[in-house]
Amino acid sequence: MAAIDVRGLEREYRSGLKAVRGIDLAVAPGEVYGFLGPNGAGKTTTVRMLVTLLRPTGGSATVAGFDVATQPAQVRKRIGVALQEAALDLLMTGRELMELQATLHGIPRRDVRARAEDLVGRVGLSQAAGRRVGTYSGGMRRRLDLAMALIHEPEVLFLDEPTTGLDPTSRATLWDEVRRLKAEGTTVFLTTQYLEEADQLADRVGIIADGVIVAEGTPAALKAEVGLPHLDITLMDCSDLTRARELLQAFGDVRPAPAGVDVSVAVAGGATEIAPVVRVLDEAGFTVASLELVAPSLDDVFAEKTGRRLEGAAEPVAAPA
Amino acid sequence: MTRVVLALARRAIRANLRKPQFLAPLLIFPTLFLAVNVGGLTSTTSLQGFPEVRGFLDFQLAGALTQSLLLGGVSTGIASALEIEGGFFDRLVASPIPRVAIVLGRLVAAGLVAGVQVLFFLALGLAFGAEIAGGVPGVLVVLVIGIVAGVGFGALGQAIGLRARNASTVQGIFPLVLVILFVSSAFFPRALLSPPSDTISRFNPLSYLADGLRDPIISEVSWTPVLEGLAAATGIAVVAMGLSVLALRGRLRDA
Amino acid sequence: MGTNLAVVVALVRRALNEITRVPGAAIPGVLAPTIFVVGLTSVFGQADRVVGFGEVDFRTFVVPVGFLQAAGFTGAATGVNLARDIEQGWFDRLLLCPAPRLTVLTGLVASAALRCLLPVAFLFLVAMAIGVDFPGVDGLLVALVLVMGLASVFACFAVALALRFRTQQAAPLMQMGSFVGVLFTPAYAPKDLLAGWLEVLATVNPVTLVLTGARQGFVGGVTWGDTWPALLAIVGLVLAFGALATRGLRRYSG
Repeated sequence: MAAIDVRGLEREYRSGLKAVRGIDLAVAPGEVYGFLGPNGAGKTTTVRMLVTLLRPTGGSATVAGFDVATQPAQVRKRIGVALQEAALDLLMTGRELMELQATLHGIPRRDVRARAEDLVGRVGLSQAAGRRVGTYSGGMRRRLDLAMALIHEPEVLFLDEPTTGLDPTSRATLWDEVRRLKAEGTTVFLTTQYLEEADQLADRVGIIADGVIVAEGTPAALKAEVGLPHLDITLMDCSDLTRARELLQAFGDVRPAPAGVDVSVAVAGGATEIAPVVRVLDEAGFTVASLELVAPSLDDVFAEKTGRRLEGAAEPVAAPA
Repeated sequence: MTRVVLALARRAIRANLRKPQFLAPLLIFPTLFLAVNVGGLTSTTSLQGFPEVRGFLDFQLAGALTQSLLLGGVSTGIASALEIEGGFFDRLVASPIPRVAIVLGRLVAAGLVAGVQVLFFLALGLAFGAEIAGGVPGVLVVLVIGIVAGVGFGALGQAIGLRARNASTVQGIFPLVLVILFVSSAFFPRALLSPPSDTISRFNPLSYLADGLRDPIISEVSWTPVLEGLAAATGIAVVAMGLSVLALRGRLRDA
Repeated sequence: MGTNLAVVVALVRRALNEITRVPGAAIPGVLAPTIFVVGLTSVFGQADRVVGFGEVDFRTFVVPVGFLQAAGFTGAATGVNLARDIEQGWFDRLLLCPAPRLTVLTGLVASAALRCLLPVAFLFLVAMAIGVDFPGVDGLLVALVLVMGLASVFACFAVALALRFRTQQAAPLMQMGSFVGVLFTPAYAPKDLLAGWLEVLATVNPVTLVLTGARQGFVGGVTWGDTWPALLAIVGLVLAFGALATRGLRRYSG
């Protein structure tokens, strides 16, 4: 049984705006699913429906085996949610918030303290637990938010843009925690507008644009769809480029080289093929002046599927030929 | 200079109109309070010592108006503080306009709003059976005193807003409005007030302001209360504008 | 059931937190009813000399009005706080807990019922200090029960508005509701002395029954005849506005 099963999910707001227009997806237990899209694509609307904060206006969705529309209480027992902008009561201390969250989730009184203490330690906030949340940095708040989401040991964890606006160190800490959760078998549904985040964490990625999923698959498979990685090579002595091209033909297609580059060859194996390529050229008497592995990114995938760039790119890119 | 002031005033007015939730309470709260006071205490006009008056509504109009003008001052203060919070104030300071224009722009707007407040409460009174005994000259007198007082309260609010710099602090003085009105003769004849208001009201300029606003409504315009009211309004305006300019200086020095 | 109770208690504790952690913010709410009563008395105190007012002095007459206002202010503040929690996303977190929605609502309302006791206690002490007659233990207890009930009513009303508008800018609406509810009653004078229109409004306003019930100990003695209509009015109002708030809660996720 899928941990999350979504069929034809739709949400139309009273204003008539259709934020989500028929989404299908399935997330297996223990999988980390990255939901990738720009602001306003429908990510948050989808998450709010999956966590029972918003009723779908069409289609259906089950989370941990229960229908989000008809069995919301069952769903809520089994999910943990860290929402965008970590909503926290700044007047309370970290420990008080954890204990309140534990009580709200029906954890028996005798276990509340220990559970709170354990999780606070796990996200590295033991020192700060007695301080009011108002004094926390953005990264600390997100970590506390994550700890609160985990208080009842949820089967499925939803993280809505967990690192938006965080500094690189805090981001790395959160990433480590997500990896650890995955290792423990928690299913994670993660929305992000950062390609790198999806690439780093997700087993599978769904790309959403304008309320529909435009591409889905493992990061590697998606990137492969838009082309293989290739090596751009510049040689010290380029008097015999034809010979060099013949040699490299053995690794993959030799493609038209961009300006400033002597040879460009597709390498299905990516970085693993750099050493053999250099060895072959070396043995034939060529000296490599520079070499660059160019890999397609999820951004390329996004651009190909939607005709737009993802991060902060306002201008549409030229449609792929 | 005039152009700048008018442009800033226009901006302040526009902001008021676009956010009616700021302006509406200025009229609605005093109106509700007026309704409750008149409805509940209508029979007090029979008390010995109550001035000759057609009805308690005629008497209470000036109290409601004074309250509304004071609330207008608070909302001017909130607007000034929001302007600082939002950074627009710094932009104004950085632009090549006379500093005083920043203060004056908002006060022109406050005066205009005060005019609207005066007309609103006079119209409300007429609609519910009050009469303006002073006639057209009476209305003009009320308008003049009301506008001067409105500018004064606006300046006071602005001085507080410039010092406090955050809107929620300014919001905190809201309840004070009722307190200073309770120790004045705004809502009841001075002769009938009980301790401690009977004593304090004699020194409270709001008493003279309210009585000045009231006189042309409940009788022919008579000079003493009107001039006292105008003097109170002018005094408040002059002192408050001084405070406002000082607050602006202080703000610029700290910035 | 035990879990639900724990949730209600946790929510109430959080609401009370605010009083202890930001005492400055709570002061105006605590003082307001007292200021109102003392202010009204020193302005309109002579009103009790009007023929027909009765034996009671004006000050004693309006102290129970101050009690009801404390309920009104606290109820409105509960709505404003909820609106802030909605704006900041905290309320979503509450809705994500598996406790029934009704439990969450109960927690909000119960906190209002408790919080209003603070301004009421302050007003009562001041009233005693300035010489208002002690209303009797029974009179005081009846008044407290009614005030807590009325705070729940106004809290439900303000919560419904907060759920509808989802912004703190709806605050004046909430305050106006409690203002009208409390003062469009025989607040300042016995019903016979009210202006005709207000007498009509006061007659149809169920809060009048509550005021009469809360006032009886101050102006005479507690009778069952003045108590049961007040209790009935509270029950009816809680049911009506509770239903409104519950509906708001259901629609919030719609």
